[in-house]
Amino acid sequence: MTAQYIIGIDLGTTNNVLAYADLNADSALIELLQIPQLVAAGTLDKRTSLPSFVYLATESESAEGAFDLPWATGRSYVVGEWARKRSAEAPDRTVVAAKSWLCHPRVDRRQPVLPAGASDEVKKISPVTASKYYLAHLIAAWEQQFPDAKIADQKVVLTVPASFDPVARELTREAALAAGLPADFILLEEPQAALYAWLTAQGDDWRKQLKAGESVLVCDIGGGTTDLTLVRVQDESGDLVLERAAVGDHLLVGGDNMDLTLAHSVAGKFAEQGTNLNPWQSVSLWHSCRSAKEALLAEGGDDTYKVSVLGRGSKLIGGTVSVDVNRSEAADLLLNGFLPNCQKSDRPERQPASGFQELGLAYESDPRITRHVAQFVETHCTVENSSPQWILFNGGVFKATGFRDRLLNVLRGWTSSETGSSDEESNVQSLSGVHDLDHAVATGACHYGWSKQNGGLRIRGGVAASYYVGIESAGLAIPGAPRPLKALCVVPFGMEEGSEAEVPGGEIGLVTGQPATFRFFVSNTRKEDQPGTMLNSWTEEELSETDPLEATLNLTLEDGETTSPESCVPVRFESRITELGMFELWCIGTGGEGEWKLEFSVRES
Amino acid sequence: MGLIVATKAFCKLLFDKNLSNAFNEWAQSGGVSTTTPKIETKPAQKPAATPAKPIRSDAISLLAALQREARLVDIVKEPLANFSDEQVGAAARDVLTNTGKVLDRIFDLQPLTDQEDGSSIETPADFDTGRYNLTGNVSGEAPYRGKLAHHGWEAKQCQLPNWTGSKSSAKVVAPIEIEL
Repeated sequence: MTAQYIIGIDLGTTNNVLAYADLNADSALIELLQIPQLVAAGTLDKRTSLPSFVYLATESESAEGAFDLPWATGRSYVVGEWARKRSAEAPDRTVVAAKSWLCHPRVDRRQPVLPAGASDEVKKISPVTASKYYLAHLIAAWEQQFPDAKIADQKVVLTVPASFDPVARELTREAALAAGLPADFILLEEPQAALYAWLTAQGDDWRKQLKAGESVLVCDIGGGTTDLTLVRVQDESGDLVLERAAVGDHLLVGGDNMDLTLAHSVAGKFAEQGTNLNPWQSVSLWHSCRSAKEALLAEGGDDTYKVSVLGRGSKLIGGTVSVDVNRSEAADLLLNGFLPNCQKSDRPERQPASGFQELGLAYESDPRITRHVAQFVETHCTVENSSPQWILFNGGVFKATGFRDRLLNVLRGWTSSETGSSDEESNVQSLSGVHDLDHAVATGACHYGWSKQNGGLRIRGGVAASYYVGIESAGLAIPGAPRPLKALCVVPFGMEEGSEAEVPGGEIGLVTGQPATFRFFVSNTRKEDQPGTMLNSWTEEELSETDPLEATLNLTLEDGETTSPESCVPVRFESRITELGMFELWCIGTGGEGEWKLEFSVRES
Repeated sequence: MGLIVATKAFCKLLFDKNLSNAFNEWAQSGGVSTTTPKIETKPAQKPAATPAKPIRSDAISLLAALQREARLVDIVKEPLANFSDEQVGAAARDVLTNTGKVLDRIFDLQPLTDQEDGSSIETPADFDTGRYNLTGNVSGEAPYRGKLAHHGWEAKQCQLPNWTGSKSSAKVVAPIEIEL
C-alpha cells in the first residue's frame, strides 16, 4: 500500500509531538495530531503534546479500569499528562527522562531499572520499554483518528538528539519497531529538524539570508538536554547547499534545571517568611517558576513577578503564600548561572567524580552552557578561525528573549575580539522569522520527509562522528598488565547513508562458537581518520567509549551441523550505514565462510 | 474585588441549576435543540470501537476540569469574609489565569465582533436576538444602528474531555486526596 501521509515524530525528553502532512497535497500543509490522553482518573482529553512520563500504578488503583484508553483496557500504567502530574504526587512510581537513560552507558537499558530507586514493590520498566510506551500511544492515537491510514503503511521520520551515539540510536530504533513503526522509518537529528522548520518557513528567501562560506550554529536547549550542531553553507556549482559539519557532546542540562534553580531560590524566600513547602507545593512552585522565568526574562518583561503557591487542602485562600521575584535576581541566577559571559578559550570544568557516585543520570557537572558552546565552537570552527555567522535558537527556554540576547552577545563578544570590529551588522545574527519553539522539531521532521518524497532542499550530513573498534595488540603478554589497546577506525566522519566501507588492514582471527566482543569508541573531533586508520593512543576528550559490540560466530557446514567450537576464522570488518541512518558492523570471513553482524551489547558491565 | 464578584457571577450563571439542567438535556440530546442558544460544536471524532457511555454530564466534566487545572471550586466555596483583599487577590490571580486557559482550550472563546467598544455598529437585516442584544430606545425595524457596548463572546468549539470512569464517581468533581 502506498503511503498517504508523512509523519514526523519528536520523541522528546519531556514531551512528544506528532506532526503530519498529506503526501498527495500540492504543498506540505503540516498539522499537529491532537493526542487523546488521560488527564485525570477516567478523564480523557486531547493535547498537542504527550508528556514523556509513565506512571506505574498499584493493582488496586488499576482494578476499576481507571487507566483504560479507547484502544486499551486493563492497563496498569498511564502515559502522558496525568502521569506527569503523578510524577509530583507519587515520584517513586513515575518514570521520567527515560530518553536520557537511553544513552547512559553504565546500565543495561533493556533491563527494568526505572523509576531509578523505586522500591521492589514497583514493577519497573526499562528505558527502551518507556520509549516504546510513548511511541505506541502516539501510534494508537494516530490510528484512532486515521483508521484508513495504518501507521505501518505511512512514511515516518523520528527525531533523535544529534549527540545520540550509535547505541542510543539502535535502542531508539528497537523501541520504535516494538511499538509498531514501519521498519523503513527514518532517524533525523533534532537540530537539523529545527533548521528544516526554519528553512520551510522562509521559503526561497533563505538563499538571500545565508551566503556561501557561512555557518549556522543550531542551539537547542530542551527540557533536559542541550544539543549543538554546526551547519555550513556551501556553494556547489552556483547553487547553495547545506552541510551538517559537526555535532556536540550529549549535554544533560536544560530548561528544567533552570526552573528548579529558580524554584530552589524562591523556596528559600518562603522559608525566610516561615513557610516550608511540602513536596506537592514544591512541584506547583516549579511550574510557577517556569512562568516567572518566561515573564521576567521576556523583552520588556515585568520588573517583579509574584510567585504564589496555593494552599494544599480545600482551604485555598488561607493557605496561599506568595513572594516577589525581581527581574535582576532571576537574571543573575539564570543568565549568569547557565549562560554566563565567557571567553572563547573558557572550558567547562569537570568535577572529579566521586568514588561512590550514585547510579543515576550523569548530569553535567558544569551547567554553564556558554562554556560548552565555547568548547564546541573552538573545536569545530577551525577552518576560517571564526565563530558562526548565524545562530538558530530552538527549545522552550528561548521563549524568553533574555536567553537569546545573552547567548547572542556572548558569541558577538568572541567575534569582535577576534576581528576588532564592534559593527553589529557584520557580527553574529540570529535567524529571524516565525519559529514555533515547542513544535519545530516535529514539523521540521515532517518537512524533511516531505522533501525526501517530493523533492526539495536537504541538509547533507552523513554520520556525525567517526567510529572505532578496540583491538588488543598481539605481542608478548606481560603478567598483570593488560595488552595494549589500539583503536581501528571503521566509520569515517560524514560517511553517507546508504554506503558501505571495507576496513582495510583489520584482518583478525575469531574463534567460533563463543562470543567475540569488541570495545567500541566514538569521536566527534577526529574528522580526518579513514577506515583502517589505527590509533595507538588517544586522549579521553578525543575518543569516548560506549557499549561493546558482540557477535557469536557459528559456522554451518553443508550437512547442517555447526562446527565444533574453537575453530578459528579469519575475518575482516565491513561497516555499513543504512539508507535509514543506522550503523551496522559486519565481520566477513575472508575465506568465504560467511558474514556476521556485530550487535551492541548493553548489558551491565 | 471586582474580579471576584465577576467570577462568582460567572460561576453562578454557569452552574445555576436550571441552566445546568437545560445544558444537560441539550448535551444528552446530542446538542440539537431549538430552544437553547446555538453553539457550533465540532463533534470530536469518536472512536468507532468504543461505545459511548454517557454516564457523566458534560457540565460535571467542565467543572472537574476547572477544579483540576484552576481550583475554581475551591476558591468559590471558601468563605471570603475571613480574608483580606490582598490574600484573596493573591489566590485569585492564579485561579483566574488558569481558568482562562482551561476555557480557551475547551471553548476557544472569541469576541463576536472585532470592533472596538464605543464604535458605531449596525445589525444585519435578518436580525438574530441570540447574537444581538439591543438596549436603550429600541424602536423600528432592523437593521439597527448604535454604539457597541459589549463585543459579546462565542465558543468556536466545545472540546470537553471524555469520561470513562465508574458510575460511582460520575458526579465527583474532585477526588479525596490522601497522603500516605
